[in-house]
Amino acid sequence: MIKMRIKIREDAITKIQAIAIVVVIIVAVIGGVLGYFYLYQKPPEEEAQPIKIGVLCPLSPPGAYGVGQFIKRGAYIAAKYINEHGGVLNRTIEIVVEDDAGTPEVGVSAAEKLITKDGVVAITGQYHSSVCLAVQDVCEQYHVPLLVTQASSVKITEKGLNYTFRPHVMDPDRVKFWYKWINERGFTRVAMIAEDTDYGLGLKQYCELWKDELAPDIELKIIIVPMASVDVTPQLLEIKDWNPDLLIDACTGATARLVVTQAYDIGLTPDVPILGAHDFPLEPGFWDSVGEKGEGIYFIGYYHPEMNLTDFGEEIRKMYFEEYGEAPIYAALNTAGNIWIIKQAIEQAGSADPEAIYQALRTGTFVTWNTENVKFPEEEGIYWHHFRMPMIIFQLTEVGQTLDDAKIIFTG
Amino acid sequence: MDISLISQYFFHAIIMGIIYCLMAIGITFIYSIMKMINWSMGEFYMIGSYIQFFLLTSVIGYENWFFGIPLTIFIVFLIGMIYYRVLLKPMYVRGIERKDDYITIITLASVILFRNIMVVFYGPYIYSPKDYFPPVNFGTLPINGSKLVAAIGTAIIVGIFYCGIKKTWIGRAFQATAQNRVGVQIAGINPYRIDELSFGIGCALAAASGALLAPVFMVFPTNGAITTIKGFTIIILGGLGSIIGSVIGAMLLGFVEVFGSAFISASYRDIYGFILLLLVLAFKPKGLFGERERLV
Repeated sequence: MIKMRIKIREDAITKIQAIAIVVVIIVAVIGGVLGYFYLYQKPPEEEAQPIKIGVLCPLSPPGAYGVGQFIKRGAYIAAKYINEHGGVLNRTIEIVVEDDAGTPEVGVSAAEKLITKDGVVAITGQYHSSVCLAVQDVCEQYHVPLLVTQASSVKITEKGLNYTFRPHVMDPDRVKFWYKWINERGFTRVAMIAEDTDYGLGLKQYCELWKDELAPDIELKIIIVPMASVDVTPQLLEIKDWNPDLLIDACTGATARLVVTQAYDIGLTPDVPILGAHDFPLEPGFWDSVGEKGEGIYFIGYYHPEMNLTDFGEEIRKMYFEEYGEAPIYAALNTAGNIWIIKQAIEQAGSADPEAIYQALRTGTFVTWNTENVKFPEEEGIYWHHFRMPMIIFQLTEVGQTLDDAKIIFTG
Repeated sequence: MDISLISQYFFHAIIMGIIYCLMAIGITFIYSIMKMINWSMGEFYMIGSYIQFFLLTSVIGYENWFFGIPLTIFIVFLIGMIYYRVLLKPMYVRGIERKDDYITIITLASVILFRNIMVVFYGPYIYSPKDYFPPVNFGTLPINGSKLVAAIGTAIIVGIFYCGIKKTWIGRAFQATAQNRVGVQIAGINPYRIDELSFGIGCALAAASGALLAPVFMVFPTNGAITTIKGFTIIILGGLGSIIGSVIGAMLLGFVEVFGSAFISASYRDIYGFILLLLVLAFKPKGLFGERERLV
């Protein structure tokens, strides 16, 4: 019996051991709490943590990765400019780039990563309308503002989402603009070859919708081709058989250029001029891939080097040239402009909180690269949170011409 | 529709048929020997177009384009053999037993890898070598010189390939391996060596197509995607494993697509090929020239 009692006492902890355990627990708890506050707690804003802005654009196939590179460049240049000029609210701007690969599901995951992991306060850089339509829902869900760079489907603004803002051109704007030019030039048989994306189908829809109102005297023929077509000859032969006097090229990427070369190969051009529905002839490598087959092409653009830009726009143009050795194209300038708008919204809100930025974007007036009165009105319908960019029709008449040499044909 | 336009459609259908058949023969040849589908076939087409562009712009010059094509074929043949040895040969676990799911994963992953490698090396730009030949006019019919070269080049390559398979010792070894992989080992033929060569040749055929068509369909990382889809449509049409079937299937697809566009609507061009495929499969489930297999 005695032996047993002694054994129990040997197993039990001593008083000193108990005190030691309690001390260790107290030290661990205090250490943990202090560690949490010192190591993991978000530092206050005054500690100059950079403000992160997300740039979501196509950087790999099947997206228009060529344009994505310019969007990325434009964002970096704008951030560099802002940081060299004192940043915003005593903090620097940091650009976080993600690739949407031109695919809605990739864009959605990338947007979620930008918002939840990187903690961006706003997102810009969308190019493909189909991706933008998916990404804007994510931004709406997380209450993070999205400034669209170059996605032009009407559905983007027609949805009336609070956190989406678009300082760009929409398909209906483009259609109205080219109908004015078509009337002025007196074209009567207009053919259009459009890709089967939101972009191409949107242009088709508004072309048909407004033809009777805006260009009642013309005849219109529209052919839809898959986005990644490499051979559009049968479609162009059908157009040739129809005897048009203008061909509108409403495709993007390689297909837009293949329309130019294959139209020439079947003898459709140069007798029938081509109007590019956007500024693809300014993308690098255009002349290397189409050569003399592209001579005489008309296209809709948004910027000319002789245009008067804002002070910010002039600085960006200069810095871009110094950094990359070439003139910026619209995708780069408009992305830079969007970063600049976000910076002004942060200043106007006095905070880098996404909700405060959103409120500032709703009510404020902003400067971008080409104009000083950007507003995002809450108009009903397709012009919700939409700022209309001016357009120009240019013509390139010789191989190797750049935007500097492009002739301004029509300004509306 | 005037006769000149119908002639243009007709000529374009022939050209497209001839062009499609190179890719389809490459796929079906690899399938016949190795009994595997190379899902990255379009990427070998793309690599061929890039190598040809590189050779013309940086090594031999545009005027020597005709040297560029065999050189490209040879380089991609070597790349194909290395690809087989490094990535595909390990799929054989014991003798002729192999992991088929491994092939699917490897070849599908290669699609993404090769496309992105080209974006890294050549940037996101679209290139095109100058036309191989000036435009040719047959009467009032304008024909792009590069398309004509591609059609003639393809006919020559298919002819050489066909003679090689039918008339040479190695060609017979290929046929024998396609018929019975165990039997050829008894006859002293190493089926792995035959696999390696056939994979190299299949890839080289796709690259030949890419090199010939570089000025027509341009050079960019995703230019092989469409031709691959067409290639698979053709081999099902013609019958898996049949070279003659691939040639006939390619011509049929070319004609159906082009004349469907001409007489119905060009907007539904890709649908015509699939309707033809469904019709053929409904009446001949093994394809036009497919043969019943008897496994022992």
